[in-house]
Amino acid sequence: MTAGRRALAFAWRSLVRQPARATLGILGVAAVGALLFDMLLLSEGLVISMRGLLDRLDYDVRVTATDALPGTGPTIDGATGVAAAAAALPSVRSVTTLRIADAAFERGGLSTRGSLQGLGGTSTRRPWTLLRGQDVGGAGELVINEAGARQLGLGPGSSVTVRASCSDQREAAPPVAFRVAGVVAFPFDSPELVTAATTANSLAEACAGLGAEAADFLLVASKGDPTATVADIAALPFALRAFTNEQVIGRLEEGGFTYFRQISAVLTTVTVSFALLLITVLLTVSVNQRLGEIAALRALGFTRARASADIFAESALIVGLGGLLSLPLGVLLAEGLDRILKRMPGIPEQLHFFVFEPQALAVHGALLAATAVLAALYPMWIVARLPIAATLRNEVIS
Amino acid sequence: MAIIDASNVSRVFPMPAGPVTAVRGVSLTIAEAEHTAIKGPSGCGKSPLLHMLGCVDTPSAGTLLFDGRDVSALSDRERSLLRLRQIGFVFQRFFLLPMLTAAENVELPQAEAGVPPGERRRRSRELLDYVGLGARADHRPSQLSGGEMQRVAIARALANRPRLLLADEPTGELDEATGEQIAALLDRVNADGTALVIVTHDHELANRARRVLTMRDGRIEREDTR
Ligand SMILES: Nc1ncnc2c1ncn2[C@@H]1O[C@H](COP(=O)(O)OP(=O)(O)OP(=O)(O)O)[C@@H](O)[C@H]1O
Ligand SMILES: [Mg+2]
Repeated sequence: MTAGRRALAFAWRSLVRQPARATLGILGVAAVGALLFDMLLLSEGLVISMRGLLDRLDYDVRVTATDALPGTGPTIDGATGVAAAAAALPSVRSVTTLRIADAAFERGGLSTRGSLQGLGGTSTRRPWTLLRGQDVGGAGELVINEAGARQLGLGPGSSVTVRASCSDQREAAPPVAFRVAGVVAFPFDSPELVTAATTANSLAEACAGLGAEAADFLLVASKGDPTATVADIAALPFALRAFTNEQVIGRLEEGGFTYFRQISAVLTTVTVSFALLLITVLLTVSVNQRLGEIAALRALGFTRARASADIFAESALIVGLGGLLSLPLGVLLAEGLDRILKRMPGIPEQLHFFVFEPQALAVHGALLAATAVLAALYPMWIVARLPIAATLRNEVIS
Repeated sequence: MAIIDASNVSRVFPMPAGPVTAVRGVSLTIAEAEHTAIKGPSGCGKSPLLHMLGCVDTPSAGTLLFDGRDVSALSDRERSLLRLRQIGFVFQRFFLLPMLTAAENVELPQAEAGVPPGERRRRSRELLDYVGLGARADHRPSQLSGGEMQRVAIARALANRPRLLLADEPTGELDEATGEQIAALLDRVNADGTALVIVTHDHELANRARRVLTMRDGRIEREDTR
């Protein structure tokens, strides 16, 4: 048997000998480790989740009038012409124009507020998933998400009255009747926000012609090289800004998403320090209770290195077992926390705050390993500089 | 050649209230298979001397040779390995490891010395038989009496076939009859060829030795040989 395995076997016996201490240590590390794991999942979770969401879409370049994030800046005017010009670029496969208006939806005595999207352009693929019924076909048809269908009791074939608010200054346009063609899921749907979509022309009618040629943004599908598409669009003679998915993520990372990383960094530091203290205290107390035994083993020929290795092995065992336990615990905790955070209104159903990625596991392991080493340092130092003769003497006197 | 050759060794402990000289200029040799007892009143420096003989402590002055090698010149690791292979210790308080069985306690120094598992199990069994505890091999220290624990400790001290066995008050925690059994066992160990140094203030235990050193105030005051 190697010295390392001897030390581990020995440490295991020492742990089993004091089951209360071992349990306390392992559970402590498990709790702290679970929290640590979650903090690591949280630090990159939103970004990873958002990237996944974007990558699953049919388009990979987003075009707006200014640098503002999609949906928050001024509109693109003359959208039909712009879309046609963009669609003619060799690097572009298709272009969808998207205009978003606030809207009130009414059916019978029921009413709710939400948004109505108007889609134009050259793409035949729609940026949503059809759940029931049919896609938007002719004029006066819309598709609506589950939240809208549920709140108004709508289904394919029902009719709904829409009052659109098409600009900040004006009041709602006169009511227009739509037929519900189908129920769909939008990629950024949240469970309670009502979203519906129709053609650009039908939205223009609902807006009584107001801003008929405007779009909030264009969704462009490249032929495989979004960076080239972005460059091509920037070269068009319009005032446009184009972003690849990567650039959108980059902008989100610079913005609000960093809060999560900062919170996670602070909480990670706190939890790791707590684990460190807990294990150091447990090991130190246990070493101090065993000084006589340790001195006796040293007198019998255990080297300093070997006596210290036993302490390190104990630390590694406590942290290792606690760390293993912390993973399933962390996953459960992350699911619970994700559910709580997603109760915030407007959070897309498919966006997650805690997302597993292999790197989180590696960092978790590395941090716990560092904890095991650091926590063992002080008790190992006590053992290493233990004066054998004086300790044996003190043990007899006391 | 003598196992130990100490010449003019002293041990001074620096203390906040001033240095304490526990051993003053002691010269002493321990020969192969010799039986020596060190006695004297409490505080006369018996244990500090024994610790130096056992290479767990080094002299403040003078030289102590183990097998002709100056112990002070050895590294801590070299001294540990010397103790592991050549010296056995028996303590007043036994210091068996409570989470290990009697046999495992005896195996421990052998494992440390790299003895293969099969061989060390055989040797442990043999040693426990030797100290009369063959039937208690799988018992933990908490299931043994004080005398039995000390016998396991003696078996442990003999595990790596040391040339020198050191015992500091080995009967200090035991009643008279049990102490007598331990003393008889130690006699047998010595008769079988291991040099033995026993520190005690028990005159009867001391007088079983062929050579009795009486210490006072850090010095060897007299030496009696039978
Ligand atoms: N490791 C040590 N550190 C400091 N002082 C020590 C140490 N060992 C012994 N001394 C001092 O040396 C002196 C003699 O030591 P000690 O009392 O151990 O002798 P002893 O003969 O073994 O006594 P006892 O029979 O009570 O065990 C004492 O004054 C003690 O304080
Ligand atoms: Mg003493």
